[in-house]
Amino acid sequence: MSAAPVRRIARIVARPTLWLPLLSLLVFLAVWEAVGRSVDPLLFAPPSRMAGELPELLSSGELAAATGVTLQALVVGYLLAAVSGVLLGIAIGQWDTLGRLLGPYLFGLFSTPRVVLVPLVILWFGIGYGGRLFLVFLWSMIAIATTTADGIRNARPDLVEVARSYGAGRAQTILHVLLPGSIPFVLSGLRIGAERAVVGVVIGEMFLEITGLGGLLQDSAQSLETARMLWAVVVIAVIGTVLITGLDALERRLSSWKAEPT
Amino acid sequence: MSAAAAAAPAVPRERPRLRAALQHAAFALALLAAWEIGSRLLGSALLLPPPGAVLAAMAELTASGELVVALGQSLLLLVLGLAAALVVGFVFGVLIGRSRIAYWTLSPYFSALFVIPTVALVPLVLVWFGFGMGGRVIIVLLAGLVPVLLSVAAGVRDAPGELVEVARSFGLRGELRLLIQVRLRAAVPLLMSGMRLAVGRAVVGMAVAESYLRLGGIGGLIRNYGSSFQTEYVFAAILPLTLLGIGLSALVGLVERRFQRWQT
Repeated sequence: MSAAPVRRIARIVARPTLWLPLLSLLVFLAVWEAVGRSVDPLLFAPPSRMAGELPELLSSGELAAATGVTLQALVVGYLLAAVSGVLLGIAIGQWDTLGRLLGPYLFGLFSTPRVVLVPLVILWFGIGYGGRLFLVFLWSMIAIATTTADGIRNARPDLVEVARSYGAGRAQTILHVLLPGSIPFVLSGLRIGAERAVVGVVIGEMFLEITGLGGLLQDSAQSLETARMLWAVVVIAVIGTVLITGLDALERRLSSWKAEPT
Repeated sequence: MSAAAAAAPAVPRERPRLRAALQHAAFALALLAAWEIGSRLLGSALLLPPPGAVLAAMAELTASGELVVALGQSLLLLVLGLAAALVVGFVFGVLIGRSRIAYWTLSPYFSALFVIPTVALVPLVLVWFGFGMGGRVIIVLLAGLVPVLLSVAAGVRDAPGELVEVARSFGLRGELRLLIQVRLRAAVPLLMSGMRLAVGRAVVGMAVAESYLRLGGIGGLIRNYGSSFQTEYVFAAILPLTLLGIGLSALVGLVERRFQRWQT
């Protein structure tokens, strides 16, 4: 009763897939500590300095407030992008001509680095919440729309045929045949869109309105407080990882039930 | 991450070419007309300069050599950063792909690097490595590194066993020679798709580095005109950058397709 779980835990701990990353992390932190201290502890912020900075960031509520601001813009912009992206995707997937004509422009916009559009975003949407939301929204929306359109175009023609022959209208076909069939595409679009949204929120906070985690990063960079910068980067990385691995898991789970037609 | 390629809208080519071309031309004209009308209605060259003004600004930037110099600086940064990303990505990609120990000790860092937006790393890199060319090249390197590394790792891991067998039976000895002559060659199609992603991300890294510093290159040009509110020049400088990004990824895509044909 007592020996078996202990042995199982021991086996898990002894697994190289667990202790190798841990060992590597320890070595990494030790080297960083040693190098950071010998070169310039203020500028390189070795782990001990980072740890020393954390209580103040937490107790002053600064980190939590910044995370809240970032998450708020991220979630609102991303949800808007998801809804309108799927709708636009259905439209350009259904009307071939529209997709063909819009395609190059969407692609061009999608391949333009967002930072260079910041001057225009400032002029059009201001440096406040609206501008930040736009930076989260548009690129995420394009990613979701183009993958959804791919899914609609790749619908199984036999199923569409069956639906038509049973007298289903356009709206019914979309709702019951095309959309369920393109769920794997929509999900991969949602994942790419999430990556884009995280980048967009950080750009908005660093270049438009100095607020949130990007603002914390930018402010600390001005005063050369590397430890605080690193904490901002860590939280951004955690948000990105949670969002993307979550959507990844969802994608794998929901794609498995849709077997390939035999 | 291969899905990022799927995000690019595909342009189907089923209909007669002429009709499609006419449709595109008509649509482009309609967009230009809407732009012209919109800018007149707004009546503000600050918010939306008319297409003519943007064209004139582009001509002026080209004639004065400003655009050419900026594009040259940007391309130099891009090439240096991508070359560095290739070298580092190959070395670590081969390590991670061929050794399980290297995989479990090193890959978490690269996964983390992939998730962190490049913009967020820019202030750190500049504090640590300075504001010169070196710091900027490191930013482009960090932006383009992970796609190269992941594709190299996947490529050398999944090398077809029969090719390795044949090479061995022809007397090819040594893991390093096997790696260079068989595994890497077999992985070329995969490497090219990694390269395509890397180029896209590197262009973003380049723009980020330049516009954060407001120094040099096309990114600096855009930021400078932006901060002096000369919107037509902002447009005129953004368009070449967009074309550069599309052109580069199309170029890599072209090479990619050639290699695919060559492999089958």
